Amino acid sequence: MTSVSRILAVWLTPVVLLAVPAALCGRAADGLWLGLTVVLVPLIVLGPPATRRPPPAGRDERGSLFPVVTLLFAVGVLLWANIALAGDVAVWLGALRWQGIVVTALAGWLLTAWRPLRRTAPLLLSVALVAAVAPLLQVGWAVGLGPIAAWDRVATQAAFRFPPASPWVTTGRSLATAHGRAPLLFEEVHRLTAPAGGTLRARTLDGTRTAEIEWTLAPGQSVTLRAGDELLPGAALRLRFEADKRVPGAPASGMAWAEDPPRRWLDRIGLLVTFLVGAAALLRAGLTLRLSRDGAGFAASGLLVAFAWAQAWAVYAMLQSPDLFLGGVTLDRLLELPGAALFAEPWRRTLQLFLVVAGLGAFLASSVALRERLAALDPTGGGEIGSDPGLWAALFGGAALASLWPADPWALTLLALGGAGCALGPATLYPPPPGRAGLATTAGVVGLLVFLTFAAAQLRGAGGAILGSAIGYPALVGAPAGALVLWLGRGRAG
Amino acid sequence: MRRVSPRSTGVALLWLLLAGFLILGALPNQTASIRLGGLSMLWWYGGLLAPVLGVLVAIRWLADPLPAPPPHE
Repeated sequence: MTSVSRILAVWLTPVVLLAVPAALCGRAADGLWLGLTVVLVPLIVLGPPATRRPPPAGRDERGSLFPVVTLLFAVGVLLWANIALAGDVAVWLGALRWQGIVVTALAGWLLTAWRPLRRTAPLLLSVALVAAVAPLLQVGWAVGLGPIAAWDRVATQAAFRFPPASPWVTTGRSLATAHGRAPLLFEEVHRLTAPAGGTLRARTLDGTRTAEIEWTLAPGQSVTLRAGDELLPGAALRLRFEADKRVPGAPASGMAWAEDPPRRWLDRIGLLVTFLVGAAALLRAGLTLRLSRDGAGFAASGLLVAFAWAQAWAVYAMLQSPDLFLGGVTLDRLLELPGAALFAEPWRRTLQLFLVVAGLGAFLASSVALRERLAALDPTGGGEIGSDPGLWAALFGGAALASLWPADPWALTLLALGGAGCALGPATLYPPPPGRAGLATTAGVVGLLVFLTFAAAQLRGAGGAILGSAIGYPALVGAPAGALVLWLGRGRAG
Repeated sequence: MRRVSPRSTGVALLWLLLAGFLILGALPNQTASIRLGGLSMLWWYGGLLAPVLGVLVAIRWLADPLPAPPPHE
């Protein structure tokens, strides 16, 4: 059962766990697809029977090192994504960014470096589960609605409005924390107050003409924006919004949130391919897995519980804290206890602590499991790469340093899964004939290069429909490219 | 002809469960948005039915067969 726990811990990093409720909040259908993919894809990858691999002597040196180096980079990027998320959570909860980063990175490194603590993934995963489920049950009990009734309530809301007890209404919050990508577009007249003053820039709409205006507000001074006006990003002042006004960036209504958006087939296929090859690389490449009936059931049930938690958490969060839509839903906000008026202190703080412990527990379990995963691929057979404290200190240190600058944890996770997937996934799912390890390496290099080319194009912005999906999910092109090389190589061999 | 292993059956069923979500979303007249017992059909399928069936498929078809008992000396 320990190996199954490790599979769950490698797969269910905090970023992946929180990405599902975040996607569910953004658009119900897209979130469901993501959740279904997270649950079913690992089972699909672990499903095919274990193939007897040729002895290591049959693999050339290039073929042995390539998977290790690729997976090492993937693990580094995954650590970066999760430590960056810890920094975001720290800022959102009122601490300093570096504090969240240092605590998380240090704990992760200690756990991977200290030998007696290396087999704690199942325990940490259990702690994370209990600590995540307890606040969910409390919120459900306090709201007085089951998840289905809560979903119905959300899906029939005429609009998502600021609750009177929201911190954005009572004390105000810094706009810098609302760092989502969606613009703050106002759909009705809204008076904003700057409790401590500051400078605010907006693009206002006057008839058909737009104009950019900058206000320097004294402490307590207000400014009124009209429908169609837009707050420009970059302002870091604290702002108070009005209660019962529509949340900028929220869906038009509960009905609009619940309905399936216009067909985005390629995006969904792109996500599926990224997860499929990513799961093949992370969970299967170079391993001979044998799942017992109990193990298969345990792995599948763990994935199901995580998805059920994500659904219920997303629904209660939207019902109690619709202000999470402000500026676009980000992962860090979903680690805040919803409903400012639901719980009194110190109960609220205790439940919030549970959530932080759940996030930290999931991260530590992932760190331990990722280390063991890498050690299992070590071509020397001794797992040296997993027991080198200097290497792991460099990995955690580098990830912590990079996390000091805010980065999108979800984009980093897709990059890690897609990159490792294009390099290792095709050969894992479609293995070359025995004695031809070099073909797997060639296919992996081609797949990775194609993936990186399209990933680099992301920096230049999205293209048209098909090209846009390929740029958004580069594995959509990289994985078939690797598979094509494998197929051609097999043909030549035959 | 190659024999279909139970695991291949399980993997094929899991693919079908995924495909079902895309097909349901592609049905005309927003069929997936029809509410049944408080939830939309898409949510019943993608949030409950398909994941639960996925677990059952994993338990029934994805496990390795039990090792044969050691021969008596």
